[in-house]
Amino acid sequence: MADTIELIEKVLADMKKVRGVEACAAVSRDGLLISAIMQNKRFAESFAAMSATMLGAAETATTELNKGVPDRVIVESKRGRLITAGAGPKALIVVLVDSNTGLGLVLLELEKSAEKLKELLL
Amino acid sequence: MVKTGVPRLDDLLGGDIPKGKSLVYYIQPGVEGEIFGLQTIYTTLIKSGNGVFIASSTSPAVVREQFREFGWNVEPFKKKLTFVDAYNSLIGVPSEEKYAVLKPDNIENFNEIIIKLLQESPPSTIVFGSLSTIMDLCGEKETIEAVRSWNKIAMLYDHVIVYNFTAWPYSEETLDLIKNELFNAVISVGGIAERVIFGQYFGILKADWTEKIRKSMLFRVFRPGGIKLFIPKIVVTGPFNAGKSTFVHSLSNRAISVDRLGTTIAIDHGHVDYKGFSADIFGTPGQERFDPIIKLISGEAMGIFLVVDSTNPEDFVRAKQMLKITKSYGLPFIILANKQDLPGALKPEEIKKLFNLPDDVQVLPVTASNKTGVYEAFEVLIDKITGGI
Repeated sequence: MADTIELIEKVLADMKKVRGVEACAAVSRDGLLISAIMQNKRFAESFAAMSATMLGAAETATTELNKGVPDRVIVESKRGRLITAGAGPKALIVVLVDSNTGLGLVLLELEKSAEKLKELLL
Repeated sequence: MVKTGVPRLDDLLGGDIPKGKSLVYYIQPGVEGEIFGLQTIYTTLIKSGNGVFIASSTSPAVVREQFREFGWNVEPFKKKLTFVDAYNSLIGVPSEEKYAVLKPDNIENFNEIIIKLLQESPPSTIVFGSLSTIMDLCGEKETIEAVRSWNKIAMLYDHVIVYNFTAWPYSEETLDLIKNELFNAVISVGGIAERVIFGQYFGILKADWTEKIRKSMLFRVFRPGGIKLFIPKIVVTGPFNAGKSTFVHSLSNRAISVDRLGTTIAIDHGHVDYKGFSADIFGTPGQERFDPIIKLISGEAMGIFLVVDSTNPEDFVRAKQMLKITKSYGLPFIILANKQDLPGALKPEEIKKLFNLPDDVQVLPVTASNKTGVYEAFEVLIDKITGGI
């Protein structure tokens, strides 16, 4: 089990290789950072807490409205996109994408990574 | 009087390591454990003691570099820090140190140098950088016999002798001897993967000069900074307008909040570095419409601050309800009677009565807006989380 963290790091490293991905992190559903690949690690912890809150709030909102659990939350701004997706009951995955890459491949890879992360944390 | 320099560990060991005692850091492979020995020797030096480091897995130059990495300047202690070089001759480089083991794979040679050192040095903290390396080179049985005699001689000459030992798969017998018999104290250093917290911990397996306290602590290694106790989550909750965000900001070295129209709508997040502790603080919203978020972020908390506005007892019912929402019962929690600077603020004792909680629940006075009582409260909660001494 001690090696799980290394496997998670591998999943993140693969995700980071996708074109356009600037940073990514695995976060527990309740906002604790599991692992992150990002330039400024200092902010990784708060970044993790915010992402979990965002996804949690979105899930509460849509399920209350009987629309089921959202597949992902995409936040768009002029300088980039932030995408958060659930990875099983315990964790979620967040990626930061630059503003000019198409999201198709990113979303596909994100889904795969989320599935792997889910398996690792079972 | 020698201290390990590891936060909380000294308290658990009864204050310090008495002269003449031996201690081993029993380290699981893959864990950053070797810093424990380094931190202990550095602590000795800054408390004006003498230190000896036996470098067996890296050269003394690399060890000096490691001290620098942790932000520990050992230059001023040149005269008080001695190295035994048991590495350079392995790679065929001449040693510049006062003591050098020329045949590190020969226990006789090792013995000769170490015993000479133990007899010649003033009472010192003697740290073996890696006992496992010596064992790999000289053999398990041989090394154990040598350690037995080193410990005895160290006792006679009033040294404190400390070993880093990485618990590779040696024979059961060897590991057993190390864990139970050879040393006066055994500190286990390991890794955990519990739920989603991947961390490193240490705990006391044995210490024959003090009552044993079974308690494990999470830690992280900082460069610079060394070992700090790590508390992944402390939750700050309480009713609307109690001063939760203000408290998070006044306690934290850095903090951010998601607030709109003057109230927290998602979360406050702060990071505290204080007296050897590193903690992340999560502040919840207060209003009932945000209850799902409160539930979400209070998972896996290690301790809870319940902040209340001392001038507003009407909200205490809601406060008590929030203890339920955050599942605080069973976790270490304390109540903070905030806004003590305002006229009409109730005293902590009065608040305790109104709450009607068990006697051991502590209510502490704070004024988050000017930081009064904030760090005291943090220390009290930390004590509760780490088992208090």
